[in-house]
Amino acid sequence: MLIVKDLVKTYPNGTQALKGVNFQVDDGEFLAVIGLSGSGKSTLLRCINRLIEPTSGTILWNDIDITAAKGKEIRMIRRQIGMVFQQFNLVKRSSVYNNVMSGRLGYVPTFPSLLQSFSREDRERAANNLAMVGLEDKAHVRADSLSGGQQQRVGIARALMQEPKIILADEPVASLDPVLAHSILKYLEQLNKERGITVLCSLHFLDLVHRYATRAIALKDGLVVFEGLPSEIDDAQFKEIYGQDAERIEIS
Amino acid sequence: MRSLKRSMGKMLNESKLAEMRCEERELMTSNSQYIPEQKKKRVIAPILSLVIPGSGQMVLKKTWRGVTVFIVTLILSFLVQWGFSNFAIGEIAVGGLKTSWLWIPLALFWLWNVLDAYLLSIQKTAPPLLAFIFAAVVLYTIAWVVTDVNLDRLVTRFDAAKTVMTKVVNPDYIQVYKDGKFEVCGWNCIGDYLDAKIKGESVPHLRVSENVGDIFGRQGTVTATWWDKLFRGIRVGVRIPGFETGKLIETIAIGLMATIFSTILAIPVSFLAAHNIMSHVPGGKVVYYIVRTLLNVVRAVDTVVWGLLIIVWVGLGSFAGVIALTIHSIAALAKLYSEEIEHIDPGPVEAIEATGGNFLQVIRYAVIPQIIPSFLSYTLLRWDINMRSATVIGFVAGGGIGFFVLETIRIGGYQQYAAALWAVAVVIILVDMISSKWRNKILEDKPKAPDKTTWSRIRTWIYIILGLAVFTYCWNITGINPKNLFNPGVTFGRLLKDFVSLDLSQSVLAGVTKQMITTVMQALLATTLGALVAIPFSFLAAKNLTGKSKFSAWIYHITRSIFNILRSIEALLYVAIFVYWVGIGPFAGMLALAITTFALIGKLFSEAIENIDTGPIEAVNATGANKLQMIMYAVVPQIVPPFLSYLIYQWDINIRMATIIGFAGGGGIGLTLNSYFGSLQYHKAGTVVAMIVIVVALLDFTSAKIREKFV
Repeated sequence: MLIVKDLVKTYPNGTQALKGVNFQVDDGEFLAVIGLSGSGKSTLLRCINRLIEPTSGTILWNDIDITAAKGKEIRMIRRQIGMVFQQFNLVKRSSVYNNVMSGRLGYVPTFPSLLQSFSREDRERAANNLAMVGLEDKAHVRADSLSGGQQQRVGIARALMQEPKIILADEPVASLDPVLAHSILKYLEQLNKERGITVLCSLHFLDLVHRYATRAIALKDGLVVFEGLPSEIDDAQFKEIYGQDAERIEIS
Repeated sequence: MRSLKRSMGKMLNESKLAEMRCEERELMTSNSQYIPEQKKKRVIAPILSLVIPGSGQMVLKKTWRGVTVFIVTLILSFLVQWGFSNFAIGEIAVGGLKTSWLWIPLALFWLWNVLDAYLLSIQKTAPPLLAFIFAAVVLYTIAWVVTDVNLDRLVTRFDAAKTVMTKVVNPDYIQVYKDGKFEVCGWNCIGDYLDAKIKGESVPHLRVSENVGDIFGRQGTVTATWWDKLFRGIRVGVRIPGFETGKLIETIAIGLMATIFSTILAIPVSFLAAHNIMSHVPGGKVVYYIVRTLLNVVRAVDTVVWGLLIIVWVGLGSFAGVIALTIHSIAALAKLYSEEIEHIDPGPVEAIEATGGNFLQVIRYAVIPQIIPSFLSYTLLRWDINMRSATVIGFVAGGGIGFFVLETIRIGGYQQYAAALWAVAVVIILVDMISSKWRNKILEDKPKAPDKTTWSRIRTWIYIILGLAVFTYCWNITGINPKNLFNPGVTFGRLLKDFVSLDLSQSVLAGVTKQMITTVMQALLATTLGALVAIPFSFLAAKNLTGKSKFSAWIYHITRSIFNILRSIEALLYVAIFVYWVGIGPFAGMLALAITTFALIGKLFSEAIENIDTGPIEAVNATGANKLQMIMYAVVPQIVPPFLSYLIYQWDINIRMATIIGFAGGGGIGLTLNSYFGSLQYHKAGTVVAMIVIVVALLDFTSAKIREKFV
């Protein structure tokens, strides 16, 4: 179980991204995080694996205090939390295989990893994970020769190398064509249902939330303004989250 | 180019905004409560500026403008006073009192500043062009005198110029037997030979001149190396028959070795000088600032000046040249590399951190793969620059073609000198072509299909073996001997000790200041002169303007070739021609600098013209305008910002070049430095180098600021 208590993040320039966020996530949930751009979704997700240092508040994960971890402890925690990014964050010039392999870095000793030497198990793991996202034949091409949807699948395979208990997905489909959104989210759903991986996923489109999430929280100006089932988001809630001018749109 | 356009657009927007703001303020001033405040400033600001130039502007919140006006006034006043007391520049007698008329434009500048402060207080500005003109009158008058410009010498000694040019275009490669001795066979003589050959008459007796052997190499004796020991069983150090490498080959080897060494050494340094890397390391910020400063200091001192220091350490020879080039090159490359590291995509870094990777793993998996293409391309660029430096390093270090050139000039062998010049031009043009082709290919960075065939493996091995063979060969002919590094020359200890304890006595400082001002003024005049001549030519060398007819294509190719040939030879090598023409001194050096400026600026300008947006040209043509009108209305407005930017860039280069032009008799601070080193006065040499570092760094900073503001 992941418990977020009174989480505050103030950036050095004075922007208050999070103003005291409280919520919890049970193991095996698919939690959607919604809200306008700038509402603090990315900051929240990055505080959970400490890519961003929270200003105050605590994050407890199965009785481990993530916010109190230091140095090596942070890396030990991070390697159990996979992350998928809006811009995929692949090394474009490296091969797909190398990008996937880099997901294993938290587990392997430093020196051999610097020489790109990995164990047979890890190499098999990479092959399996690439097969899982349907890219087994692309292992040795450069990442930037793949399409956007394929690149995001490489991103998922990289996260899977960590054998994560949680996956943080920061707008994983926002840079993709709407038609590709489902293919990516289906992989996340599959991992959530079949392997019991907890998924925290920030999303823009409400119909995707309805379709995939088991629960949703909404952020507005750094505060949680809604917490509940996706189906509970009615028109009034919607206006509350996105503002009076917003219109509901659907993607097929 | 796109960013330039963007910044131009931004400038337009900003000026519109400023206009709007002005209107707003005027509206506000009509509001009664603002009047007292405004009126007060209207009186105070001009008075303040009258007392201390620029202070009024500062009170009116135009800090940058105020500071500039203040500093410019300070510099101009110093120069006028200095010029009058040292050279009696602009001397006139006013009622028995001797003074300089240059105080008049200075006073006008001062008045302009008062007017500007007043106009600023009522939301207007004084035209900056006026200020530029007043400042330019002062600067150029002083520059004219201190660089010893003697236009009449260009005319009166024109015969000398004709003589030297005839020799330069008739290099000593082939000699003809005439009247009992061999003499240089110029193009005419080759024509005669071919003529006779075709007609079947008896041909003159020709031979390849000694020079060719000196420059390219000849069959002779060499010292056996471990290579010969390995393959032929000959003891190392024995003299055996073999190919004696010429000075040109040596030069190529010096440039290559320096590029290899500096690349290897610059990579670790660049990580220490990259802000985004060092901010992740405890105490890294301090290291970052120290390394950055060090790199700037090392870079400010020209390769040739480094050569002076190095020969005291390891002695004369190619090895000293390699070290000097390597040192300067490490600093320049590390700076470029570190900027490249700072501009990587932070996404992958974040991703690798999120997987739990540690610092080294982040560098290995997220940073290194991203920087490879740009590092390679900078290395190739540096190879080009190093090859050029290698052609002149011999002037002080005693290795490579520079040494040969120096020798030929000493004995007045201008045709031998010409032979070296043409050979250098060919090599540098080739290097330039290879380097830029290769760079373009690398920067395209197309994904390649994985190539794992046997043939590709064999090819890789062939490349590795060839590379190693070239490396070993170059190592041998440049006489690299790491042992010498630990066995410094007798005066090296004294050099280190004396160099840091500068001689700051009045007389030395006055002398060094004088030479430094001469150097800066040489660069100023050379940049102006070179650019003025280059502008019309650059239009001829722009493909999009010359049109498609056969005649204009010829003009295009000829102009481009002139730029490329002139550009391939360093200013230091040109000095000898002008020394013959107008005599030793800063004038000759300035002219040599102007030639290289003309070539580089011409090339850059013509490329800027080729890169302009074609939309406006189409639009102006559509109105029925003629070619000149089209250029005035559609081309000129687009090329002013890049032209200014390149001018400032060239001025930067010229100042660095001007510091060494004295080594060949071109006047300026190089001459002073050379003589202090020659007479082992290391205290004073230290003062000179410190002065160079300070002035170059200051001007660097200024030109960066100017570019930020205007371009």
